[in-house]
Amino acid sequence: MTLPESLIAEFDELVAKYPERRAGLIPALHRCQEELGGWLSPEIMEAVAEYFAMEPVEVYGVASFYPMFKLRPQGKHVIGICENISCDLRGAQDIVEHVCAKTGAPVNGTSEDGSYTVELLQCQGACANAPMFDLDGVYHEDLTPEKIDAILGGLQ
Amino acid sequence: MTKITVNGREVEADPTKPLIAACEGNGVEVPHYCYHAGLTPVGSCRICQVEVQEGGRPPRVVVACRTPVSEGMVVNTESEAAHETRRECLEFLLKDHPLDCPICDKAGECTLQDYTYSEGQAAGQSKEPRQNFEKRKDLGEKIVLDQERCILCSRCVRFFEEVTETPQLTVSGLGSRSRIETFGDRPLVGNYQGNITDICPVGALTLKSFRFQARVWNLIKKASTCGECSRGCSISVEVLRRGEVKRIRPRYNEQVNRWWMCDTGRFATDAANPAERVSALQRGYSGLEPCELDDAVGVVRAAHGSYERHAIVASPWVTNEEGAKLAELAKRLGATPMFVSSPANDLKDELLHTGDPCPNRRGLEALGFEAKTPEELAELLAETETALLFGERVARLLGQETLDALPKSLRAFLFDDAPAAAPALRIVVGMANWVERKGTWTNIDGHEGKVQAARTAPSGIRQPLALLADLLQTESVAETANGGANAR
Amino acid sequence: MIPAGDTYLLSRSEQRDSHTIDVYKRLGGYKAIEKVLKEGIAPADVIDVLKKSGLRGRGGAGFPTGLKWSFMPDKDKDPRTRYLAVNADESEPGTCKDRVIMREDPHGLVEGCLLAAWAMKLDAVYIYVRGEYRKPYDRVQQAINEAREAGLVGENILGTDFSCEIHMHKGAGAYICGEETGLMESLEGKRGHPRPKPPFPAGFGLWGQPTTVNNVETIFNVPFIIERGADWFRSTGTEASPGNFLCGISGHVERPGVYEVPLGISAKTILDEYAGGVWKGRKLKAWIPGGSSTGLLPADLIETPMDHDSVKGVGSMFGTGAMIMLDETACVVRASEVLAHFYDHESCGQCSQCREGTQWLHEIFRRIEHGKGVQEDVDNLVRLSKQMAPGKTICALADAAAIPTLAVVKHFREEIEAHIREGGCPLKASRAQEVHA
Repeated sequence: MTLPESLIAEFDELVAKYPERRAGLIPALHRCQEELGGWLSPEIMEAVAEYFAMEPVEVYGVASFYPMFKLRPQGKHVIGICENISCDLRGAQDIVEHVCAKTGAPVNGTSEDGSYTVELLQCQGACANAPMFDLDGVYHEDLTPEKIDAILGGLQ
Repeated sequence: MTKITVNGREVEADPTKPLIAACEGNGVEVPHYCYHAGLTPVGSCRICQVEVQEGGRPPRVVVACRTPVSEGMVVNTESEAAHETRRECLEFLLKDHPLDCPICDKAGECTLQDYTYSEGQAAGQSKEPRQNFEKRKDLGEKIVLDQERCILCSRCVRFFEEVTETPQLTVSGLGSRSRIETFGDRPLVGNYQGNITDICPVGALTLKSFRFQARVWNLIKKASTCGECSRGCSISVEVLRRGEVKRIRPRYNEQVNRWWMCDTGRFATDAANPAERVSALQRGYSGLEPCELDDAVGVVRAAHGSYERHAIVASPWVTNEEGAKLAELAKRLGATPMFVSSPANDLKDELLHTGDPCPNRRGLEALGFEAKTPEELAELLAETETALLFGERVARLLGQETLDALPKSLRAFLFDDAPAAAPALRIVVGMANWVERKGTWTNIDGHEGKVQAARTAPSGIRQPLALLADLLQTESVAETANGGANAR
Repeated sequence: MIPAGDTYLLSRSEQRDSHTIDVYKRLGGYKAIEKVLKEGIAPADVIDVLKKSGLRGRGGAGFPTGLKWSFMPDKDKDPRTRYLAVNADESEPGTCKDRVIMREDPHGLVEGCLLAAWAMKLDAVYIYVRGEYRKPYDRVQQAINEAREAGLVGENILGTDFSCEIHMHKGAGAYICGEETGLMESLEGKRGHPRPKPPFPAGFGLWGQPTTVNNVETIFNVPFIIERGADWFRSTGTEASPGNFLCGISGHVERPGVYEVPLGISAKTILDEYAGGVWKGRKLKAWIPGGSSTGLLPADLIETPMDHDSVKGVGSMFGTGAMIMLDETACVVRASEVLAHFYDHESCGQCSQCREGTQWLHEIFRRIEHGKGVQEDVDNLVRLSKQMAPGKTICALADAAAIPTLAVVKHFREEIEAHIREGGCPLKASRAQEVHA
């Protein structure tokens, strides 16, 4: 596949910030994931590799290291729930159960109708407002079941 | 050079190399996995830990592969602290390592086994279930990967990045989920894949051609030289009981190939074990028939005595020693010795393969042999009365077409490691091939590579030097020195 | 009652639109860089002030900042390109303070970068932000844009010869990218594998060039120190740990939050006076002083002063100053399982001890918590921890996993053994079986 012109233009600007182009790789992968379907397919990784004059296997090695990069298709909405200590102490597991029940997605899986992916995350830096989840890139903190219902209810 | 003390002995250390190189270079083995002198040190396996004392500071344990040497450094590779850290590393590495030794090809040359035994870490301590990864991952035509055995030293990854400069493998994932992979299910490509099975410290990367073929302690290993091109990489030819060459691996040679060899040479095992061998054939009424070796040689000697115009055509596999004798014979017969010069092939690369399939081109040219293509030889031989085609593979290199086109009136005598048939051939004599004889080749840069017999030639197959001695009517060269048991 | 004190770190954040340049300037921002450039204060003198101030790194290690800056080579002798990498990867469990700074007062960070660039004669600054912090990232980028428009970032700052470029860079998760050399590898577009030291970043950093890596809060302190002086900075805190810090307190408290307090304040004061005490009228059972890697302490040590030496004195570390409170209903084995799972998840996998050890510790804690512990597990936890740390691996993640393990066995061995004896959690606090792989 070829990357869209708009992304190429973004990448050209991006790599100019660094003395070596490769430093733009991770920000570039973010943009691809955001713009090209919510995950990094092998085709996308090959196209990115070409842009950076790297081998696809090198891009894959980098992408597979970072939890934010998804190497499999995701649901329409991705809910990441922190399960680390401060959130756990404030009931994160109840939040996990509630979200899974509401969305029909299993833990670290996608609901059958493809609407939701629920994943467990490590500390997201919202410890003073635990428990929390990240819904499509936005933090929702100080969660309660009621709050969750309202948030999910407002989604398309 | 920097002076350091290792285990009480003062030695010289190259200051441009890490401490572990100084130890190994002075005969002190330091256990290691991720370190390899031909690759960038990463310091990740943590087992090469030794105790050092420098500059009046208290002794500390360091990883030798990432520690520079300093003047007056005192190194103890056998201290209790050093051994303790090795045991600890081994315990961690054995935690998830499958108990595959009974079926693993690497057994007997596996440093995980070796260090575990020498450090006394007799059994793994973990009661946790081992992780499951892909156990027979096909990496293409040549290599199989067992991700469970892998200890993540990353040597294979670095080999493709740094030596062939063709990244093909990566560590994927992180932490305890790390594993070695290619991109998607792409097979490995390139002519240097086999090297990763040499440098893999454990049995994670194995050659399909060697899997389950032999126990390495049953192999007889001889230092020799590869003949697949004019690079002449130093190799180890490894032979099993009945003389079958099971494996060819590179030997370190600072000037020629360092630690590596290409797959063309590595997988030349088939060519080292030709299916058909003959002792001597003579043309009779119904074609080439077995005969006594003495008679066959006698026919050639007689022909050399009777006629005027002779040709001596050598195979480029002929050694310098054989070449000298052939040149002597050619001089006596008033002929210019020649050798079959095969055209360059497309295997030439930036690393080792020269693209020239003539292992001893330079040596033979130095002895006065002229390089001729099969086409040129076809023309030249048509003008002569006798033709001695001498050397391993000479018939194959000339090609069946050229052989068949030789005039029947030509008295052609074939001395080769495998038989061939053509109307012009009057005599065929079987000879030892490069696995069965001894000598030297001169490589493209002028380095002499020693060829050494790794097995005795089959009964009835003779050493080329002995045959040449007969043709020259001198004393037969003592055969036992060549490893060939069959005396005439 | 919140005690009166000289707060400065959060003084602007309370204001509306504190993240904009107008408010920042109105509240006295960009005076420090102005002062340095107008008065022609030499770079070496700026470093000197930092040294005198005694500011210690706020990212977890507490290394003296002035001293770290002085490690950069002499530019006349070593003309290579020089960088500051700001560590905004904030991923230490319990820590949520840099997020506040970046979101609410990003210009303070920008000005700190400018001062660092001046002092260390830098060619560029990169701010490495953890990928999940989208809003903080946008706020800092916005601040840089505003500063550029105002002639404070880019070429010829405030009309002088001084130029400084500040670039934002986004991470993609992975706690290990908060380790300074892991951060540099990641910034270069690679897997976040920490590098063995030596060489140190000042000699071999980003792209092999001299680099200093500093935490957000550390840099954020610099404009205050330069503007108001080293003596002023030392007017709060302790001799060895001067200044205020942002304490994130979370877990079983009435009012979790990020509070500005002086170093040396009693942990109990933070707990009771700022965070409203243990929640639901319960009693304190255990607490972590400075982020998960510093390990659990028993409740009877709650009066420990929150400064580097005092916390070290009770066998723990100040770390990021992120306090986590556990009440009497909390299970320390479960807490240990949660943290062990974290380190297992986050190990980069290079070093044998860490790759296998973090997984092993996790497996043992999980078994114990779910009723499958055996007696030798406790001794194994200690033995394995001692084999992982200190100083045995490329970086300190192994230590970060080992220290809390040793701490929980030291202070709460009885509770662990009760799990083993009773075949499960006496507090019935076990999570759902196999909630995560």
